[in-house]
Amino acid sequence: MDKKLSTIALEVGYKKGQPVVKQVSFDVKAGEIIAVVGANGAGKSTILKTITRQLNKLDGNIRICDMDDSEINEEAMAKKVSMVTTERIHPELMTCYDVVATGRYPYTGRLGILSDDDREAIAYAIKLVGAEAIVSEDFSKVSDGQRQRVMLARAICQDTDIMILDEPTSFLDIQFKLDILTIIRKLAHEQNKAVVMSIHELEFVPAIADAVIGIYDNSVYKIGSPKEILTGENLEVMYGMAAGEGKIMADGLWQYAQALERLICQK
Amino acid sequence: MNSEKKRFTCLFISMALLLLICFIFSLGVGSADITVSEIIKSLISPGDVQFGKIIISIRLPRIIAALILGGALSVSGYLLQIFFGNPIAGPYVLGISSGAKLFVAICMVVLVGQGVYISSLIMVVAAFVGSIIAMGIVMLLAGKVRNMSLLVVCGVMIGYICSAVTEFIITFANDSNIVNLHNWSLGSFSGISWEHVIISAIIVSVTLVLSFVMSKPIGAYQLGEAYARNMGVNIKYLRVVLILLSSILSATVTAFAGPISFVGIAVPHIMRGAMKTAKPLIMIPACFMGGAIITLLCDCIARTAFAPTEVSISAVTAVFLAPVVIYMLVARRALSRG
Repeated sequence: MDKKLSTIALEVGYKKGQPVVKQVSFDVKAGEIIAVVGANGAGKSTILKTITRQLNKLDGNIRICDMDDSEINEEAMAKKVSMVTTERIHPELMTCYDVVATGRYPYTGRLGILSDDDREAIAYAIKLVGAEAIVSEDFSKVSDGQRQRVMLARAICQDTDIMILDEPTSFLDIQFKLDILTIIRKLAHEQNKAVVMSIHELEFVPAIADAVIGIYDNSVYKIGSPKEILTGENLEVMYGMAAGEGKIMADGLWQYAQALERLICQK
Repeated sequence: MNSEKKRFTCLFISMALLLLICFIFSLGVGSADITVSEIIKSLISPGDVQFGKIIISIRLPRIIAALILGGALSVSGYLLQIFFGNPIAGPYVLGISSGAKLFVAICMVVLVGQGVYISSLIMVVAAFVGSIIAMGIVMLLAGKVRNMSLLVVCGVMIGYICSAVTEFIITFANDSNIVNLHNWSLGSFSGISWEHVIISAIIVSVTLVLSFVMSKPIGAYQLGEAYARNMGVNIKYLRVVLILLSSILSATVTAFAGPISFVGIAVPHIMRGAMKTAKPLIMIPACFMGGAIITLLCDCIARTAFAPTEVSISAVTAVFLAPVVIYMLVARRALSRG
């Protein structure tokens, strides 16, 4: 029952007959964070885009909250899965508050006017990500890090069981990365969200991920705990490193990861 | 939040007042100057006053048409801008008005040649077909050129081609009915009858209400396709609706008043600046009122500035609004560089 999202032999890609990743099968339970890792172009985003219906799946199955995804219409889907993408948005003349408020879309009436409940959910999400200071600023004028906070708040107030986050930490400085990941961890642990996120910064993976999916060579290379996946040998394969380099990388990575884990988990 | 609401209310009330003042002013000025008290008298009982007939059957329909169609054109431009996700779009600069004009001209020449009476509805339908075809060409081009400024250049070229063909058709058609088309083909509110006013009022009000009801998905679409879809918006359906609503509005304008330049592109920009918001719930009525005020004023200038000769409405709107468009182009260029 507590399996929120499952993919079964999912095949994703942009064109039928040319799958980017084949045989993707994994489960995410409530309160769990799954990190998707792999080299650039491995197909991490393609998998996430297929789950959020930006792309049609080529084959296989997606189950959401114990339902086949074909049984869920667009409106119902909006209440089950929220997302943050790498795509930059350029809304004109929208304050950060306005952008967060769009997350309430599935819940508002015909004209989209916010109710008191909606305002409460928005205020809560803004507080959770610590964006109170910038709510009335123009979204296009705040920094990348602030923008990412706002987009995360938007997804939070969409109030879904499942959150799909595509590289939520890219382009941010180290403190923003820590802040964002701390919030994501809190969301999973305290609010039982099922989170799937792609991430390039492997050093953060041990601190936040319950399981890691490594993508390599058009398929799922391995699924396991961070300890099992982030080994020298696996890094060499997934990122095409020379023999021996992976071990050096992994050793340093785990040391850094322990420091980060202390910082993230103490909050 | 509350101060925002107050500001919107203030702005809407001042626009309504401005519209009322323009309305009364336009009724008074013209080749026969009429005082305010005479206007009021003639509105109440047109038979008793000397200028009653001028007011009721010439000025009033013309002014109401300018008001409705000017507002419609501005909303049409706003919807197109949402569709393209870019403020540099409008029915005139993209050649859609000219496509509509060409089809109305063809329709008239063919039907008048066969002695068929042309109802206003036929004109609107012809204009709509022309708009949709021109829109189709623009969308095909949009698939090839990603740059909006370049797309506008293509649109202007389409506009020139359509206008040129329209000129050929009008020049070679000798029928006196069609010779009168010359004024219309440059854009003018002169000679608009009550029948035109009623038909356009019906079409425009229905289309406006539909656009207003679409405010919610339009607002979501402003965050981009990906997020809109994630919020449960049916993107394909929304895009079709946007194109249809925008085309119906600009086709109605072109059918009765010819192509009117730059109102569709510049007024939404001015209104965004005034309202300081992008919310469609506010912007749709604001664009309508802004378009109505500006078009009414421009029409006033068009018929009085060089009286008794009339200038085309497009000449007046171009003088005032083309600089706004140039400013937009330059400002956005500076923005994308910085």
